[in-house]
Amino acid sequence: MRLQRHVLFMALLIGVLAPLILRDEYLMHIGVLIMFSIMLATSLNLIVGYVGEFPLGHTAFLGIGAYTAALLSLRLGAPVYVTILAGGVMGGLFGLAIGAVTLRLRGPFFVIVTLCFAEVLRLIANNWISLTNGPMGMSGIAKPRWIESQGILGQKTSFYYIGLVMAAFALHVAYRFVNSNMGRAAIAMRENRLVAQSVGIWPFYFGLVTFVIAAILCGFAGAFYAHYISFVGPEVFGFSFMVSMIIMVLVGGKGTLIGPVIGPIIIVVLEEYLRDLKELRLSIFGLVVMAIVVFRPEGLMGFMARRPELYAGK
Amino acid sequence: MDLLLQLLANGLVNGTFYALSALGLTLVFGLMRVVNFAHGEMYVIGGLVGWALTGLAGLDLFMSLAIVVIGMAIAGWLIDRVLISRVRDQGEEAGILLTIGLSIFLANSALLIFGTTPRRVISPFPTKPLFLGPVVLTESRVFVVLLCAALIVAAHLLIRKTPLGRAMRATFQDRLAAQLAGIRTERVYGFTFGFGTALAGAAGTLLGSIYVAQATIGGLISLKSFVVVILGGLGSFAGAIVGGLILGITEALWGGFVSTGYVDAIGFGLVILMLLVRPYGLFAKRSERV
Repeated sequence: MRLQRHVLFMALLIGVLAPLILRDEYLMHIGVLIMFSIMLATSLNLIVGYVGEFPLGHTAFLGIGAYTAALLSLRLGAPVYVTILAGGVMGGLFGLAIGAVTLRLRGPFFVIVTLCFAEVLRLIANNWISLTNGPMGMSGIAKPRWIESQGILGQKTSFYYIGLVMAAFALHVAYRFVNSNMGRAAIAMRENRLVAQSVGIWPFYFGLVTFVIAAILCGFAGAFYAHYISFVGPEVFGFSFMVSMIIMVLVGGKGTLIGPVIGPIIIVVLEEYLRDLKELRLSIFGLVVMAIVVFRPEGLMGFMARRPELYAGK
Repeated sequence: MDLLLQLLANGLVNGTFYALSALGLTLVFGLMRVVNFAHGEMYVIGGLVGWALTGLAGLDLFMSLAIVVIGMAIAGWLIDRVLISRVRDQGEEAGILLTIGLSIFLANSALLIFGTTPRRVISPFPTKPLFLGPVVLTESRVFVVLLCAALIVAAHLLIRKTPLGRAMRATFQDRLAAQLAGIRTERVYGFTFGFGTALAGAAGTLLGSIYVAQATIGGLISLKSFVVVILGGLGSFAGAIVGGLILGITEALWGGFVSTGYVDAIGFGLVILMLLVRPYGLFAKRSERV
């Protein structure tokens, strides 16, 4: 855990200093995407890596956060810190409602019902035209004035730093969570549900708290995304975001703190690098997912999650 | 009244189609307990290959159907041997991730090869309307419904009446006991997955002559098939049929009387309700807690 903390601090330092050296719009854009993905991956990792369930509809909270921010900003002209906070709060509320229903189920049923919720939300975003502008989406979401007044490089760099702060916040929350009683209870549950129950851990309650925390983080990320891209459409609920989240968490290593940092960096850079290949790129990603599941199910950083005692035996 | 009858008829027809497209998943998810997210892609491949055989190579529908079934069965058997068997005892999550990876790979490879253009499987049945009292159906739909029914009955008989079917049921009830009784369970797994894949491919070809086959619809097919399987209860063919009919009729009635915008959401709503009220499905025999 200590090693992970040091690595994370190093990463933060590099993240803070990077824009001073890389004075380039395109690189800053990639930097923003990495920060956004780190938030998403950290959020998903809380559930996949610590509760041990697999929410295939996690984009529900991304979309709720994005739509909340877009609506508040476009309809009420709310400033950005209000919309991002509101995005997190709405994400959390939906997390509470959806988690309360879905966490009663386990395994494949949990997977499918969370996916059903995300699909229902996508259909609502698509059909409730008076509120969401339907499939056309909502464009022209305002950027804060102090960002708008800068040049393109300045804008990207500002968003990069906002993203860095938010990603650091998400990781801080995850770190505090994992090292709290709550996180230990969650890990105990993941490892052996019956034993955990026998020592007084109530799986539903702990699962729900984790679910809500993850949903709040995902809502923040969605709101950030809405302001950065300044467009929100029903596809934020779609499966493609889900696929990249899964791949990032898997590649990085679920159940570790630095996995959801390493994974997004690798995947975002790869995605940009392979952009010319279009569908072939996604085919390759499909193969990567299968290869990881078969050959290296714990991901690149999986060794971090192993306990020191296990090394002693080897 | 006439409208209601027409809607019911449409619902029944669509419901049969749903049942057929979910049949493979009933085997793979309901019996083998592999949460197969690549099911929709297998359906799509069946449809696209069916189009290539009828439209490009000029074979007739039944010939193409036979080729698709054999080809998909072999492909499914290989997938089980090479991929699924490696994660067999690692719980459900590994299988879920593996099939998601497979579905991403298959969907995008299909896009790469066939493009996004919708393709239609050429069918020998005429599309002229058939009047049954106040209800109008096209002839091709009626024929495909009959074919669907035949396929469903054949699959049911295979599982209930043949030694192979008995071996399958034994293996999925208790693998160790089945092994002790001399059943080669690994072969049974491979065969079941191949059979499920073949059924999905056959559904794709048949329904590709009614609707269209398109590389991008796999995800929706997977989801609807899961809805059907869960509504009917795991692992029972009767359940899949009832689940399909419920979904088809509810969608038709909702689309006819309420609004067409949310038709696709009906199934998801039903599943959420279902798992809250009766988590074992309508027709599941065992009262195992899910």
